[in-house]
Amino acid sequence: MAESAQERAGRAPRPVLGLLATVAVVAALVLGLVVAPAEAIQGQAQRLMYVHVPAAWTAFCAFAVVLGCSVAVLMGRSRRWDAHAQAAAELGVGMTALAIVEGSIWGHSVWGVWWTWDARLVTTAVLLLLYLGYLGVRGLPGDSRRVSRRAAVVGVVSFVQVPVVHFSVLWWRTLHQPPTLVSPSSSPPIAPMMLAALLVSVLAFMLAGAWFVRRRVAQLVDDSPAEEMAAVPGRASSPLIVTRGSS
Amino acid sequence: MFWRQVSALVRRDLAVEAATREALATVPPLILAGLLLAGIGFELPPAELAAVAPGLLWLLVLTAAVPLARGVLAAERDDDAWDLLRSLAQPAALLTGKATSLCLQMLIAWGFGAALAVALLGARWPPVAVLAAVLAMPGVATNVTVFGAVLGEHGRPALLTTLILTAGLPALVAGSQAAVSEGAEAWLVLIAVYDVVAIVTAWAIFPALLEE
Repeated sequence: MAESAQERAGRAPRPVLGLLATVAVVAALVLGLVVAPAEAIQGQAQRLMYVHVPAAWTAFCAFAVVLGCSVAVLMGRSRRWDAHAQAAAELGVGMTALAIVEGSIWGHSVWGVWWTWDARLVTTAVLLLLYLGYLGVRGLPGDSRRVSRRAAVVGVVSFVQVPVVHFSVLWWRTLHQPPTLVSPSSSPPIAPMMLAALLVSVLAFMLAGAWFVRRRVAQLVDDSPAEEMAAVPGRASSPLIVTRGSS
Repeated sequence: MFWRQVSALVRRDLAVEAATREALATVPPLILAGLLLAGIGFELPPAELAAVAPGLLWLLVLTAAVPLARGVLAAERDDDAWDLLRSLAQPAALLTGKATSLCLQMLIAWGFGAALAVALLGARWPPVAVLAAVLAMPGVATNVTVFGAVLGEHGRPALLTTLILTAGLPALVAGSQAAVSEGAEAWLVLIAVYDVVAIVTAWAIFPALLEE
């Protein structure tokens, strides 16, 4: 059944998330710029970490959301999942681009070059291209349900690259430092105050990202005909992902 | 039943290629042009040219997969054969058949390029490099099949190229490194993981592409 404009407006993002994100961003700025000490060797340039690492982590989480929502679309769930996938992909692409640009500025001050043929840098750039391709597929002309299903296929296939990016610093001999938070060693190689600033920055980016996704989904829903937001007809009884014996 | 359908699809695709010679007319010239232009454009000493040859060949093979990907679906739609194929074959058989014929064509392209690279660039191919190519091609062909089914009929070659090149990164890196670096076993493991992930993912999602 098509939902009314009132029902759709009722799912508009509430300001609580935006307020939480704002508070977290202010706390991250204070911790990252004032409270946390400057790094002994890199100096003030190291503070770029409080943007670079959270941007990369937010991008990874956004791409995980794209994967989950794409699977839901392929299983015939509501087209609302498709809107979430698109919004998360846009967030992920933006955050990946931000991580690359920030990393390049940081790298220039520490390594002396804007770009180097390092496994982490190259795989991250390739990840960005893959999800730009995903957004390109979303822009294909034609029936919107067909396009969203095709985009969902690309959304699932593209996620394979995410673990390659994360583990690239362990698999290859690279210039890039190993993971700071998710490290194979038991204790993170970082001072406690820096770690606190980093964790708050990650939280701020996550909340701001979630706020962006909710706003964008509301916008996409508003722009779509109401009947498109309903579940795909017949999918409950015939899922698109066919397993052995299910047919 | 499944393997009979796969076998029939592979034989059909190869028969279509034998009749039209579309891949034969496009892929070898592309690889030859790429190797020739790289040889003169890079202006590297012979030893360095030989060292970059494996990566260059993988890049050319992935690029050559773009025109091949069109044959997955667009050519079938052009011939009004797609609906018939879907009604006769299971989705898994269709995926396996299409990917297998693509895999064979891409292996032939890689072999042709490897021979040319020996003659033109002085490349050396240890047995492990050949094994890496044979191992990596099923994963690459599976991804090309999926992307060909997604985009083959839309006439967006640049988008198709972007997706195929980027999704083929693990094969490109592992395939090249297996040829030039020590410790090739680790790269073979990466290729095997890449194959498994690509094939399992495609197996799960390919039916969705046929519901049109």
